[in-house]
Amino acid sequence: MLRSITRSVLSKSQRPALLRPRCYATAKVAFDLPLETHTDLQKAHQDLADARANSSEVVESGTTALKHAYQENTGFGTRPIYLDMQATTPTDPRVLDTMLKFYTGLYGNPHSNTHSYGWETNKEVESARKHIADMINADVKEIIFTSGATESNNTALKGVARFYKKTKKHIITTRTEHKCVLEAARAMKNEGYEVTFLNVSEDGLVDLKELEAAIRSDTCLVSIMAVNNEIGVMQPIKEIGALCKKNKVFFHTDAAQAYGKIPLDVNEMNIDLMSISSHKIYGPKGMGAIYVRRRPRVRLEPIISGGGQERGLRSGTLAPSLVAGFGEAARLMKQEFDADSVHVKRLSEKLTNGLLAIEHTSLNGSPDHRYPGCVNISFAYVEGESLLMALRDIALSSGSACTSASLEPSYVLHALGKDDALAHSSIRFGIGRFTTDEEIDYVIKAITERVEFLRELSPLWEMVKEGIDINSIEWSGH
Amino acid sequence: MFSSLLRGSTIALRTASARSALRPVAAISRTSLVSPLRAYSTGLNRDDISARVIDVVKAFDKTTASAQVTADTHFAKDLGLDSLDTVELLVAIEEEFDVEIPDKVADEIKSVAEAVQYIASNPEAN
Amino acid sequence: MTGPSRTQVLALYKQTLRNANGFNNYNFKHYFLRKARTQFRDLKDLKDPAAIEKAFSAAQRELGVLKRQSVISQMYTFDKQVVEPLDGKKTQR
Repeated sequence: MLRSITRSVLSKSQRPALLRPRCYATAKVAFDLPLETHTDLQKAHQDLADARANSSEVVESGTTALKHAYQENTGFGTRPIYLDMQATTPTDPRVLDTMLKFYTGLYGNPHSNTHSYGWETNKEVESARKHIADMINADVKEIIFTSGATESNNTALKGVARFYKKTKKHIITTRTEHKCVLEAARAMKNEGYEVTFLNVSEDGLVDLKELEAAIRSDTCLVSIMAVNNEIGVMQPIKEIGALCKKNKVFFHTDAAQAYGKIPLDVNEMNIDLMSISSHKIYGPKGMGAIYVRRRPRVRLEPIISGGGQERGLRSGTLAPSLVAGFGEAARLMKQEFDADSVHVKRLSEKLTNGLLAIEHTSLNGSPDHRYPGCVNISFAYVEGESLLMALRDIALSSGSACTSASLEPSYVLHALGKDDALAHSSIRFGIGRFTTDEEIDYVIKAITERVEFLRELSPLWEMVKEGIDINSIEWSGH
Repeated sequence: MFSSLLRGSTIALRTASARSALRPVAAISRTSLVSPLRAYSTGLNRDDISARVIDVVKAFDKTTASAQVTADTHFAKDLGLDSLDTVELLVAIEEEFDVEIPDKVADEIKSVAEAVQYIASNPEAN
Repeated sequence: MTGPSRTQVLALYKQTLRNANGFNNYNFKHYFLRKARTQFRDLKDLKDPAAIEKAFSAAQRELGVLKRQSVISQMYTFDKQVVEPLDGKKTQR
């Protein structure tokens, strides 16, 4: 499109004056100003390339490695392929289209009920709520807007536990939950609650028998995520829901990675509370919701007190633009559910097959009970962080975005019984609505090449090729 | 409403949106503006046009790999393209040559030869 | 009420494809092209006039969104992606 802009600017200037529509002074002043504003990523890459060129003699090995960080085929762009959909997703243009009017005219406070500014915004908020409820077969009144899944998870764990504190003192969750659930549970421990962290099998699945055995008479809440953010494993939500119903404990599920991507029905699955995130479904960041069942009613103590908005469970003025964007994102997840599912599944199979064709690679988590849009693969004898460094042209993550700042190996993979080395060498690939075949082909090729390159540098790999059993080596202590 | 916004705006936006938002204006200027000043953009060789059109047709998803595409190829008869496919193919040709084929003309383009003929006659093609 | 004519549907399809092509963002462009293809294939297979009418007006509404958003995409641009040829001409698919 760039070309068409520049081309037409040129041709306009050569167009005879009489054919030009009308020339206002303003138009004349702005004549040479392009409306386009470009965010230059190429600059950063250029600087890096220059640095590389200048220091070629000094750090020979470094440059060789960096040369492999890009597929240096000229004639193509430099912006990396985005394959980190579990961290966040691109905002769908249709979502942005819905949101823009809230920044241009619809600025009423949705809680103002004395004038039309409030009414028109409120109407949009409520229709968004309906879209979000429809996706999981919930009632509109059961959707409470929050700032995101982290707040929803905190509301569920802390809110329910605190409300029932007189009689119930026990919470059950798993070791592979998202950090915010684990941390919220730990916080409740400090408040005097007992928390059971269930182990998972090497597939990443919860053992239902173990869960049932863990439920006590003073258990108030079971919190188990629907789809794991690191390995994409799908827990048996329906079975867990039935178990919780039978034992009369509330069931909360963190569905940040699952909502809109796998079929979820709060009634059929006996879900009492569900955390939802907007920016994992191509909606705006900073927005989320919690589903709170009304019949039978789940009661909880609000974390945020105030004017009593959102049934008193989450006070504070809503951000209507974010709510409406979230609503549109949810509507699109429903509308595009079939098409997206087929697309993501097909690309996921292509990617998984392509990468597992490299020797000494393995898929983490259950191969059958999984959301295909999240593929976590271990590349043995390659250090995950160096592989990521060598893959600057692909945006990937070695673990969840929240914990990847630290170099600690993933606690999720640990819970699956993987050793440090394998946990260190694993990479997560996230596929979504906007991923293309071309991108997946590129990724398979790039990873195959660079894994091979990095392994060639590794003395371990040399030993493996010579047939030495690495586990039999007795490493000296110095 | 949108057009008035654009009129007061810069040329760049108007032209940026020539393929989208400002369709009416753009269409008028495209068809009525056959000015000698446009000579700079012509000069496309007929053989080149033909080769590029054939490349676009070959690259088209619905074209079977075995199909021989020549200057005489007819979209429906030879390639089995239906009306939706033909529209898609013509948009791909529009993209390739950076032109917009008016609907009336597009309805008449049913073969490689006719597409080449139109592109060759369009001074805006590049 | 009569449904959309064949010419109307084809014209709408063409507009949708053109506007999808207008996206500066590689991923959005290819998504909307893919979506247009399946959407109009589905529309073609519809038999019930009411369903056709509904699908047609939905596609019309979506064209409005595409028109606005493709223009916005051209105003806020980013570098080309690593699988995107820089010269823009893309005969290989």
